[in-house]
Amino acid sequence: MPSKKNLWVVALLLVLSLVAAACGGTGDDAGQVDTPDTGEVTKGGVATWESEEFAFTNGFDPTGEYLGEAWAVMTNMLLRTLVSYPHVAGAPGNEIVPDLAEDLPEVSEDGLTYTFKLKEGIKFGPPVSREITSKDIEYAFRRIATESQVAQYANYYEGTIKGLEVGKDPGPGGIEGIETPDDKTIVFTLTKPTGDFLNRVAMPATAPIPEEVAKCFTKAGEYGRYLISSAGYMFEGSEDLDISSCDTMKPISGFNPTKSQVFVRNPDYDQATDEYRQNNIDGMEHRLNTNTNDFEQKVIAGDVDFVYTPTPATLRKFVQDPELKQRLYINPGDRTWYITMNLAEPPFDDIHVRKAANLIMDKEGLQRAWGGPTQGEIATHIIPDAMLNEALAEYDPYPSENHAGDEAAAKEEMKQSKYDTDGDGVCDDPVCEDVLQIGSNTPPNTDMLPVVESSLEKIGITLDSREVTDAYTPIQTVAKEVPISIRPGWGKDYPDAFTFVGFLFDSDFPCTGNYNYSLVGLTEEKAKECGIDMPDEPIPSVDKDIATCVDLTGEERLNCWAELDKKLMEEVVPWIPYLDAQVVFGTSPRVTKFEFDQFAGHVAWSNIALTEVANE
Amino acid sequence: MSQAIEDFGLPVQGPISGQDTEQVEGRTPRQLFWLRFRQDKVAFVGLAVILLLTLTAIFAPVIADKVAHRGPNDQTLAREMTDEFGLPKGPNETYIFGADKAGRDLFVRVIYGARTSLLVAIVATGISVVIGVTLGMIAGFIGGKIDTIISRLIDVILSLPLLLFAIGIAAACSTSKEGCLGGRIKPGLGLVVFIIAAFSWPYIARIVRGNTLSIREKEFIEASRSLGARNSRIMFREVLPNLVAPIIIYATLIIPNNIIFEAALSFLGLGVPQKTPSWGRMLSDASRLLEVAPWMMIFPALFLVLTTLAFNLLGDGLRDALDPRAGR
Repeated sequence: MPSKKNLWVVALLLVLSLVAAACGGTGDDAGQVDTPDTGEVTKGGVATWESEEFAFTNGFDPTGEYLGEAWAVMTNMLLRTLVSYPHVAGAPGNEIVPDLAEDLPEVSEDGLTYTFKLKEGIKFGPPVSREITSKDIEYAFRRIATESQVAQYANYYEGTIKGLEVGKDPGPGGIEGIETPDDKTIVFTLTKPTGDFLNRVAMPATAPIPEEVAKCFTKAGEYGRYLISSAGYMFEGSEDLDISSCDTMKPISGFNPTKSQVFVRNPDYDQATDEYRQNNIDGMEHRLNTNTNDFEQKVIAGDVDFVYTPTPATLRKFVQDPELKQRLYINPGDRTWYITMNLAEPPFDDIHVRKAANLIMDKEGLQRAWGGPTQGEIATHIIPDAMLNEALAEYDPYPSENHAGDEAAAKEEMKQSKYDTDGDGVCDDPVCEDVLQIGSNTPPNTDMLPVVESSLEKIGITLDSREVTDAYTPIQTVAKEVPISIRPGWGKDYPDAFTFVGFLFDSDFPCTGNYNYSLVGLTEEKAKECGIDMPDEPIPSVDKDIATCVDLTGEERLNCWAELDKKLMEEVVPWIPYLDAQVVFGTSPRVTKFEFDQFAGHVAWSNIALTEVANE
Repeated sequence: MSQAIEDFGLPVQGPISGQDTEQVEGRTPRQLFWLRFRQDKVAFVGLAVILLLTLTAIFAPVIADKVAHRGPNDQTLAREMTDEFGLPKGPNETYIFGADKAGRDLFVRVIYGARTSLLVAIVATGISVVIGVTLGMIAGFIGGKIDTIISRLIDVILSLPLLLFAIGIAAACSTSKEGCLGGRIKPGLGLVVFIIAAFSWPYIARIVRGNTLSIREKEFIEASRSLGARNSRIMFREVLPNLVAPIIIYATLIIPNNIIFEAALSFLGLGVPQKTPSWGRMLSDASRLLEVAPWMMIFPALFLVLTTLAFNLLGDGLRDALDPRAGR
């Protein structure tokens, strides 16, 4: 217990520090944001980047890693796949180009066989330093099929490549649908024509992996600390990895999971084999720093080179200061943020309640909670506009003035619900009281909560909101029966809407680790398997629509996804989409050329440039 | 918290007598207390502040309605009170304390915050006093095995890492509708009160036990025992009245701790839900916007400091007045 005297001193100090803090000025006018032109290209310099955590989903092991930031580092700096993307922004960044392969593959007339020829002279980095062969790619697929490796997007290959089944040992002959007639040829045989197969073999998990190293790591994520490079950079200290036996291998020094990742140039890399990576910088350092304010200030001061999605206060500085504005880069994120509603849980088992919730939601308020229009446009449907070639840019099934919510229309919709017995447009059933909502305990979720709660209260729905560190685990566990969550967002895996709707609304979902939070297409059997009750109302399924779209290609495919998006928004209504996110980067003055990797939604590390001044 | 305040037993059995005065005037302990307390200006200020805060808390809805014309969760002026980056605007004629991140009136939320702080502090302290006094008295009076069990229980609870434990309970009970223990523990105000009470009663119990130990050896207890009084009668009619002073002092001193504890829990996001204004939660929200919106921190912090300070001053004053032998 402090003494009276001490308390006075403490109180005085606190007041003084607060008064001092209050003297900082603020401005209110915000300017327009646009992406500045890129500058001259110079070689050299070590790029630095700080973030609060490594949010790796699988320890940076390419077989299972599912984090966009990690994909950006892997595909730009560490891994080459048969085909890849040009590591630039916008539509050109979504184009498939040959990388390890000499050219795009030969495809058989029935669309079932893909033959790739590999370029000569591409080697693994140290300490392996040998020519990459088609067997190394085949090995990567065998790892995808190994259950213990937990390849998080194995569903892109399972059931598509003949004989590839997760958990099934392919035997000495290898996977039936992958042949390697010689060191430079690899042939894939598919079970059905797959319009986006090239996108699937551009994923980091399919990059060649040297078996002599990776065979020592049988558990998910382990190989992440021993990753052998096939591109322009490698972990610092890779050359010191002793690969003479499994026992002699110690984690590469350039990756400390509690501190940093440090990348240096790969001496075995041949620039002549690579058209799409300029590899201007000498290296990159990604450091952890739990103090967001600190690393944001460092970027402004020029001590750190990149800040990813700055906080609103820092963003305002970047936008309002003419010098800083030159260092702000905004690109489409191909990511939708949404509120998910559980079709099996009251009151959201009633479609009229879900529609009313869409109509009443103050989306502009949610956008503000995120930091305003710079963070993204207001979403009015599921698939990001850029991924549908703006086909649904004007589509808004639940319109309201300034996107602030339409109380009259929402109440009109609510009147049709079984939960509004007196027909006044306000839910009067007890199921609308204290509806469990699980969100994150960090911004922007914490800032969204007042907006969401006050919006839904207008139609009689009150929330019992829980703010937790990890909101995804409960909402991904079907048996937890979470009726609504403000946490989710989804970004594309590759530039095809299948990676949105195919993943998120497939009725054959797992009971834990489920991404179909709304339980679209829930059947009696599935409900029983997951231990929940089936609601009275039938739950719509879009499985057939997904299957139809998957078979199509080109414009037809795009239109098919757009129609499915509309069906979901009007006939299923699983979400309240609210933000079609943009990716915002602030940079230091050292960055003379910024490039955005449209595939990974992050910095295109292979195509940025710094001034030659070495940073400390 | 570790500094124990021991030995507050005040004799109730006889008046203080002047030796050399002709007329001996008897004074009751209450009179003596009042004589000493009213000379302590600082404690009086503390008391005044507490009364003012209590009135503010009780009449918060009336003040909000008459002065600010809006409730604590009203967002009708959110568009005007935040800029296009969603950053709040500072004090002006409409919002005298400025706005929070959601564009709500900070003045209204701060005065409503007094409700939460005082409610949590007083209810939790009340519960811990009841538990602490009961167990402390039983342990001290009966002694033997019961004393050992209760004393070890106190030791165990005092050795638990309080905040970690609270974080654990709050986190574990937050991810399902039912909460924990079949719905007995649910996040929110109730859980906060429960956690605070569960961890603060041992302090009271210790003091009470110590005092009971010394009181039970006094002559007047022996006298009543020789007259055939039962244990329960001795405990409630003889021992308890002698414990009133330390209980009052310690309860007053534990209240500010509990206010701070509620603020800490809310700061960590484990306290009351966001729609219930709480100073701790406000400070937490303000911490990441200190540079652009310092008012979000200044006002809740000022009220928090003022409240805890007032309770501490009053507690110190009460101690001085009730137990003049205890030096500062």
